[in-house]
Amino acid sequence: MTHEELEESVPLYAAGALDRIERQALEAHLLSGCASCHSALKDYQSVAALLPLGLSPTKPPRSLKATIMAGRNPASIPAEAATNEPARPSLEPGEWMNHLFPPVAPARSLSLPWALGLATLLIVSVGGYFAWNVSTQRSIDTSNIKQLEASLQEKSAKLAGVDREVGDQAKALAELRNELQQRTNEAAEAKEQLAQREAELEETRVQLSQRGSARTVETPQDELATLLRIPNVKAVTLTGSEMAKRAAGFLLYDSRTQKAWLYSVNLPECPAGTTYQLWAIHDKPMSIGTFQMDTGETAHLLVKKVLSFTNAKTFAVSLEPSGGRPQPTGPMYLLSRS
Amino acid sequence: MIDPTLLARVVKGDQQAFSQLYDHSNTLLFTLAVRILGNHEEAAELLQDVYLEVWRKVSRYDVGRGTPVAWLVTLTKSRAIDRLRARASRGYRTTNSLEAGTAAQMADPGPSPFETQADQELRISVGAAVAGLPQAQQQAIELAYYEGLSHAEIAERLNQPLGTVKTRIKLGMSKLRDGLQQWWNLGDLQ
Repeated sequence: MTHEELEESVPLYAAGALDRIERQALEAHLLSGCASCHSALKDYQSVAALLPLGLSPTKPPRSLKATIMAGRNPASIPAEAATNEPARPSLEPGEWMNHLFPPVAPARSLSLPWALGLATLLIVSVGGYFAWNVSTQRSIDTSNIKQLEASLQEKSAKLAGVDREVGDQAKALAELRNELQQRTNEAAEAKEQLAQREAELEETRVQLSQRGSARTVETPQDELATLLRIPNVKAVTLTGSEMAKRAAGFLLYDSRTQKAWLYSVNLPECPAGTTYQLWAIHDKPMSIGTFQMDTGETAHLLVKKVLSFTNAKTFAVSLEPSGGRPQPTGPMYLLSRS
Repeated sequence: MIDPTLLARVVKGDQQAFSQLYDHSNTLLFTLAVRILGNHEEAAELLQDVYLEVWRKVSRYDVGRGTPVAWLVTLTKSRAIDRLRARASRGYRTTNSLEAGTAAQMADPGPSPFETQADQELRISVGAAVAGLPQAQQQAIELAYYEGLSHAEIAERLNQPLGTVKTRIKLGMSKLRDGLQQWWNLGDLQ
């Protein structure tokens, strides 16, 4: 075809009057970049697009809008849905000005069996598409519901778990509270017992001190034993004189308590009207006390309060008339070695 | 007639924009579908498919390739003729086209609530331009445009020489272009 022939076919093309071969020839020519044919086609296509405006307007049924609005799948975004279209119609929207393909007419140029075959194929493919679309949508919906159910179940399980945990913790807290209360009670009880024990102890101490003082009076031996454990107590040994060679004595003096203990053994029995007298001798003899040796007695303990004989180095026991004498008058029976 | 930004909103999945798009285009597209299919029920069915396709494929619309109305008209015409051919291939006889009237032959039911004054003027201009064509040219164009017949098929249908049919179509289209060119030259053809 010449360029003139092609250019002349442009208005027929826009009106949709070309057969398939002529249409393809013009399209090839347009694609080759013929500017004048392209410009002419653009004008004629614009005319063609306006033609329906010349028809008497017929309004569609009012229910159509609701059907169309409801028929769309609101979940599908237009751009995405476009990629899922398996059956592509002969003319894509938006492409008309670019490639300018009017609807093809295969049925017109093919034999009836071919046409029937194509129609069947079309029906099957369209039906298949819709079935596919519906089933896909349904399976997507089903899987979405399943996912939601699974998610819900999981959340419920988690919630139940959290509930249980909270319950356990509340229980543990209650137990801890009980334990704390118990411990508080025990502590209060222990405190009370402690106070009681302290009181008892105090009482015992008082009793002990009372008993201790009583014992000092009643049992000087105990006090003597205590004295022996005190380091600054002076200890002096006395030996028998010619008058009583088997006799011996042991004297302790505690400067702290100003007490003196004389433990004497094997002194002869005092004749009637006489008494033994203990002397502390420093510059001159000082009487400490008197004591009796009764019949059968072999040992005697004398305990006396002494105001002072810290400097005394010699001690002696003499036999004196009853009641004692301010100065020694009788024979000496015991004498310290110093 | 339709602001291209409305389609941009539909692309983003704006339901309200889609509703507006429907309001502004449904009468024109239904009129076209009825004209091609000759049947209101089938036209309504077709419009469901067309709007569904618009909703799904609106992202393919390119404002540089044509006005939104031109895109919708081309899509509807294409789908209607596909349907017409499918029906013909199943053995149904089309009985509608020649009996259906044009704007010049039928009473105008009045303006649509969504129609602007410019829309009305354009509609009147197109109606007048078509009506102003000689009957033979108008018939040849309508057989091609609304019935999808090739010039050879039109010649056969009208029992006219092929060259005559081609000339009628060419002359008719040329006159329409000359009569309506002002609309797209003004740049307000939407």
